[in-house]
Parts: sequence; C-alpha cells; structure tokens
Amino acid sequence: MFFLNLTFGQFAALFGAVSGAAVLLYLLDRSRRKQTVATLRFWVAAEQPPLVRRRKRIQQPLSLLLQIISMALLLLAIAQLRWGSRLATPRDHVLILDTSAWMAARSARDATGRRTLMDEVRDRARAYVKAVPPTDRIMVVRADALATPATAFESDRRKLEDAIARSAPGATALYLDQALAFARQTQVLGSRRAGEIVFAGALRVAEGSSASHPASTTAIPNLRVLAVPDNAENVGLRRMAVRRSATDPDVWDIFVAAHNYGTAPQSVSIYLRFAGEPAGFRGIALAPGAEREATFAYRTHAAGVLEASLWPHDSFPDDDRAVLELPPEPNLRVTVYSDEPELLRPVLSATPRVTSLFRRTAQYRADDTGLVILDRFRPPEPPKTDAIWIDPPANGSPIPVRTRLQNAQFDRWCSDNPLCGGLRTRDLHLAAASVFESAPSDIKIGQVEQGPVIVARPGKTKTVVFGFHPAVSEMRYELATPLLFANILRWMAPHLFRRSALAAGSVGTVSAEMDEEVRKPEDVRVAAEDGSALPFTLRDRSLHFFTGTPGTVRVTTPGGEMVYSLNLPQLWESKWEEPAGARHGIPVFRPTPGGATDLWPLLAILGAAGLVVEWFLFGLTHRRMTRLRLPLSFIRPRARKAS
Amino acid sequence: MASTPLLDRQFLEKLERLTIHWQKSFNGLVGGHNTSRFSGGGQEFLDHRHFHHGDDLRAVNWRAYLRLEKLFLKMFQIEPRVPVRMLIDTSSSMALGDGRKFEYARKLAAALCYVGLVRLDTINLRPFGARLGEGIACGGGRHQFSPVMDYLSDLAAGGKTDYLEITREFIGSYQQRGLLIIISDFLDDTGCEKPLQFLADYGHELMLLQVWSEEDRRPPWAGELELVDGETGVHLKLDFDDLAREQYTRAFDQYAAGLQQLALRNSGRYVGISTQMAIEDVIFGSLVRARGIA
Repeated sequence: MFFLNLTFGQFAALFGAVSGAAVLLYLLDRSRRKQTVATLRFWVAAEQPPLVRRRKRIQQPLSLLLQIISMALLLLAIAQLRWGSRLATPRDHVLILDTSAWMAARSARDATGRRTLMDEVRDRARAYVKAVPPTDRIMVVRADALATPATAFESDRRKLEDAIARSAPGATALYLDQALAFARQTQVLGSRRAGEIVFAGALRVAEGSSASHPASTTAIPNLRVLAVPDNAENVGLRRMAVRRSATDPDVWDIFVAAHNYGTAPQSVSIYLRFAGEPAGFRGIALAPGAEREATFAYRTHAAGVLEASLWPHDSFPDDDRAVLELPPEPNLRVTVYSDEPELLRPVLSATPRVTSLFRRTAQYRADDTGLVILDRFRPPEPPKTDAIWIDPPANGSPIPVRTRLQNAQFDRWCSDNPLCGGLRTRDLHLAAASVFESAPSDIKIGQVEQGPVIVARPGKTKTVVFGFHPAVSEMRYELATPLLFANILRWMAPHLFRRSALAAGSVGTVSAEMDEEVRKPEDVRVAAEDGSALPFTLRDRSLHFFTGTPGTVRVTTPGGEMVYSLNLPQLWESKWEEPAGARHGIPVFRPTPGGATDLWPLLAILGAAGLVVEWFLFGLTHRRMTRLRLPLSFIRPRARKAS
Repeated sequence: MASTPLLDRQFLEKLERLTIHWQKSFNGLVGGHNTSRFSGGGQEFLDHRHFHHGDDLRAVNWRAYLRLEKLFLKMFQIEPRVPVRMLIDTSSSMALGDGRKFEYARKLAAALCYVGLVRLDTINLRPFGARLGEGIACGGGRHQFSPVMDYLSDLAAGGKTDYLEITREFIGSYQQRGLLIIISDFLDDTGCEKPLQFLADYGHELMLLQVWSEEDRRPPWAGELELVDGETGVHLKLDFDDLAREQYTRAFDQYAAGLQQLALRNSGRYVGISTQMAIEDVIFGSLVRARGIA
C-alpha cells in the first residue's frame, strides 16, 4: 500500500492540520441552529444558556469523530492511496523523435536509396513502443529546433503509432538540450511514475546545443538512446548572397558558399542558372569540414529566379540547391520640356537609374508619368505628376513670385532637411532670380536675403521650383548642382536609391549587420513571407531573428531592404557524445509484479458518505428526525443541561 | 388568481343552528336571545316588588292590591341585546412558522361572526397588536357576512403585543359591558393575566380562545439553538434536549391552565385550541363543551 500523489509526511501534515482545525472549531463555537419563536418565556424556564462549559469539552464528540474520519478518507483519496506494490504502478515514458532536417538524408543501410533516416527513426520508435508494457504510457515528442509534443501521455498504442507515422523531417537542426529538458519537466509535473526518456535519432546536433557537451546529459539517469547510424558524407550549400555591383549597376555580384560535412575530401561543381538558363559554373575542392565560397558576376537588369546547385548530388539532396528571386531594377522616367536640352542633360545623366526623355516645350503633354521638368516656360495645363519647375514665368509659377531680383547674392542652403544634404557654395551670385512667397509647409532649399529662391512643396504630387536656372548661372560650375538634383530625385523617388541585398540561407537563427543609420529597433521591420512581423533583437547594429519554416523574410530599414530566402535546411554542426550512463537499444521490460489497485474512488465515496451522514444526523435534517421522534439516544446517551 | 375563502358554504350552513352564549346578565334593550336576571319589558313574568313612585302604573298588580291593599309591581324577564366584541391577535407571533396559527384565528373569528350574525347579534371585530386596530362592526343578519370575510381576508400579522395598552384602550372605548371574545396565542413575554383580569373586573365576560401551533407547545428542535423572539428580536442561546422539552411543555401547560382559571374565576370561558385540530371539531366540540356556543 502506498500513496501516489503525496508522501506519508505530507499526508500526515495535512491530516493533522485539518483535524486540528475541526477540533478547534468544535471547541470554539459550533454553529447553532437559528430559530424564531413566539416567546422566550417558556424557553428561559426550561433551559439556561451555556457559557463556559462548551469551550472545555466537545459537545458532540460523535459528530466530530465522524467528520475527522470522513476528512481522513477524503485526504487518502486525494493522496491516491493504492493497494499493491509501488513497482506495479504503470510508468510514463517520453519518446523523443529526431525530426531535424538531417533526417531527410538517405539511409546508408538501404541499398535502394529510398529509405531515409526518418524511416529508421520511426522503426526504432515503433519497436520501443511494442516493447513497453501495455499499461505504461508514452508521450511522443518531435524535436528539431523546438520540442513539440505530438501526444500526451498515452496508453493507446494506435494513437502513438499514428503520431510516429505522421512525424516528418523539419527544416532546422536538432537542439537536443531543449528536448531533454522538456521531457524531464514533463515527467516531473505530469507523470504518475517516471519511466524512461528515450531519444531516437542520428546523434547530430546544432552548434550551440548544450547537449553536445556530455556534462549536460549525465544528470539524466533514465536516458535511453536509440541511435540511427548515418552516412555523414555530405556536401551542401550553406548560403548564397547577391548584390548589385558597385562598379556596374547592371551587374549582380553573386556569392555561393558550400560546406563539406563529411570526413573525406570532396570535389563538387556549382552550377548557376538564371531564369532557367545557365549563368555560370565553378568547380571547387573541399577538405573535410571545410567551407569555400565561389563568386559569380551576372549582368542583367531583368527580374528572375537565380538558382545555384551542386553536382554531384549526395545522400542528402535537400541542401544541394539554393534559389533566389532577383527583383527588377528600379527606374525613373524623367520627361524634360526644354528648348535648350543640353543644359540639363549632364545633370540627369549623372544618375544611372534615370531614363531621360527630352521634348520641346511645344510638345508639352499634361499626362506624362514619372517626373516632369519644365524649363522656363508656362504650360497650358500643369502636370499631374511630380514636377521640377526651373525659373517659371512670374504669372505661371506654381508658387507665387514675390519679386524678381537682379545681381542677387545667394545667402544660404537649408540645414535641417535631407534635400540640402552635402550642399556647399561660396560667393554665389545670381544674375537674375525670382523670390517666392512660400507657404509654411514648404521647404526653403536655397535663399537670398530677400527670401527663398529654391522651394520644395510636399504633397500628393511633389513640386520643386527654382527661381533661376542653375545651368545658366554661376552654379553651373558648382558641385552643388548635381548633388542638389540627386537630392531632389531621392526625395521624389526614394525607391531609386534604396539599397537591395539578397541572400539565400538556412532556416533557424539569422544574424545580419545593419547600417549606421539604424539606431533603434523602431527603424527595422522584419516581415515573413505572408507579411506578418517576426520578432527580432537588435544589439550593437547586429540584428538576430529566428524562423523555423522555410520561406522569404524581408528586413526593411530606412535606407534599404534585405531579402532572405531561407530555403536551405539547417544542418548539424557537431556529433552528440552520448553520456556514459545512457542505455541503448530496445529494452526488455520485466513483468510487473501483480497489479496495484486504485482505492481513491472508494475512499472518496466513503468520505463523502460520512459527511452526508454527519450532516443528516447533526445538521439541518435533525429537525425532521425529531419530528419523527427517531431515537437519538444512541447519539447523545444523556440529556445535558448547559447551565 | 382568486383567493380561497376562509370558510366554505357547507360549513357555514352547519353553523346556522348555533348561538353565541354568555353567562352573565347584562343590561340592554330587548331583542337578544339570552335571558337576563335584570327585569325589563319582557313577556315572561319574573317577580314582584314593592311599588315606588315613578314606576310604570301599567305594571302594577291590581289583583294583589285588591286582595292585600298594597301596591306590587310585576317584573318581567327580558332577553337583552348584548354587545359582542371580538379581538383578534395580529402580532408577529401569530404568523411564525408556516402562518397556520393566524390563518386558524381568522377562520375561528369568521365562524363566530357568522354564528352571531345569524342570531342577529351585533359584533365588533377589532384586530390588536401593540394597540387596537381599526375594526369592523357587523350586524343585521347573515347577508352582512361578506364584508366580514373580506375584512378578515385582508388582515395581516405583524408587530408586537401589548395587552396592558389594549386593555386601557378597550375600556376607554366601550362603556357598555358585554361579551368579549379574544382570539390569540396569549404568548407575551410580559404576561397578559393582569390586563385580562382588569377587563373581567370591569364587567366584561371573557371568552378566551388560545390558538397555538404544535411548535409553541412542544418545540421539535434539539441541540444547540439560538432563539430569536419573533416580536422583540431578543436572542437566547441554549442547549435543548428531551428533558428541557418536557420542562418547556410543562411550563406552557401551566400557563394555559392559568389562563383557564382566570377565565372561569370571572364567569368566563377558556378554550385551548391546537392548529392541528379541525376547525369544525373546535366549534362543535370544544366551544360547545365550554358553553361558549350552543
């Protein structure tokens, strides 16, 4: 006979506390039955109220005894008193299935090459489930980067088989320490009697998984390892990165890294294809455990799918192919209406992503898209898109002209706006310039003493108005002129200047270095493929986020965007050293000695019945009993006088 | 939903052969149904007495004068109309428990009123608690019974009882002596014997109908009790067992016997009525035996 839930000490403490409280209540003041009567004159004559004696002895000892016995029975039920040997109690085992990405590798023991390591793990798990006594319960836990229970503690073998059959390789490496900690905690909190913690897998864990250190698992005395032998000869792609060439904007610089996970040197070829067409080839030799990077340059301004693949394929083909989707090159169409196009051509050609179209002022059309530059003329109808007005006539300016100056001294550039970033001029004289009547929301880019001569007006369509022509003034020879136009284009079409970087890698934890302009987490947004935000941390311009499923993750910052195509599986980094005390193989369980009988239902019923009987005899129904004149003499053998 | 009448028609028909009786002789006008020892303008010869100046010459016995040459006056027995007053207890103690006591008292009052109405008695019915309440005067035959029924049906119990106060009020209100029927449980902590004695001394004939529930006489409870007086709210904690119950019942019976003795000593009547008794048995049994009605 033993307790399943409580120790004997806990039971004794609880029972002592409950009994003491009951006795104390009986001694202090047992609840009296309240009764309203017509007069008290006969009651006073019949009986005197008790004052002192009730505190010195129990008034209804049988009632108290009945209550204490009932409470003891209920406590025994709570403690789950069992009849039989403790060894006969069914045990609760936790079966951890390795569902890391490596489980998709082909089994070395199968000559056909169709079976994977996951199939081997399933076979081991099924064999273990069959070996476990039918009364024992098993919890199936799938472990990769996360430990996910597939079942509760379950004795139904059909459900366990189903959970094992539905376990499939994931995309991340195995973090065994988390799975073992989860299993131990589950056994402590939720099991009737702790059984074994069984790990079925290939003993290869991720870098940073503390289970790779034997010390972390020596404290698990009930660990059993069902190891699956694997062939570690594998060469796989680790990452692929793509960015625009710094020298030629039409060229993509492509970096592909491959890793040799095996123990023998390997020579592999990296093939590059863009939009289905061959785009490059490199052959590399990899020493065991080494990683090498191949560089490609590919010229295109079209969008398409870039694919890198390894040849020959090995037993784990999932990491032999990486895919990236190259975005189209952004471009801005600028329509210039000028009778002297040569003046503006050098300024616009300095920006590579601008396509300029020069027209005579007589060819003006108001429905142009992109950006429109109007050079010293008044259009019959204002443009419907962003526009730069250069020295417009006073009666046709979008911003009213206050005055027209001759030989004006340029005073200053604005200092607190990105439009004026890097602008410096010295002793700049303007032969003729219009001073504008700017609105409070306008940005005064350049000013003379009398007022602004270059004004930017934000809004649905952005407008910049020059009060003079920069190419027919002294400003023509200033470096500030192309800088000013570049700033205006960046302000009007910021996507042109946004830096893009693309990378293909493996799922799991991703780290990236941010630009200097990223100062706080609010400047960064990490979004998954479906647009939902992913949690991340930013520490010293180093961004870290985690994703457990393959897909595309976009990291957006004020100055650019990084696209991570996380389609490569995360593979192991080290081999797990099994602890010395771990058991191996499928066990043979000894037959359990007899069976342990649960007594708590009977005890609970008896306890509840005892309380009901006590309530019936001494509680509310006592009145009815008295009416029926039931013999109460066996409860109280003699009448008491309380006085 | 219509409320059930206090008394049904079959029972009322049975009551028609009854008459309220009193033992004392009261002064009053002719028209009653109980003889009085006081002489008056009746038909039945009662006695002779000497003639005094101012007596009615029509009552002189002239035959005796011729034979004895003395003037004798013939006196005739009368059956005077005696006022019947009925007080019904409406204090909280009457409504305790399941309220059967108050219901029983109302039925009893209704039955006695009907008996009086059938015999053309005039009955003043008044409720009382701490003071006398507004009553109803009924008379003039059985067809006047409906207002009495309505009045009794509308009565509600509540408040304390103060017999001394209502005695003072009653004596001040009614100068003419008569029959006084009191329907109550007479369970007053201060005691009601002295006020009742005052009423008897003043000349009223008392008919005390004590209505009690079985809980009043023999409480069924046992063990540790906290008792609350239904009228005063006074609390009392005590242990109660069979022995105490016997003592309680003995004290109650002694109190009821005291009330009976008080009534009989003053030419009145007393009937103790348990609510477990059928009202028909009380009217045709206990009250007839006590000669309250005949």
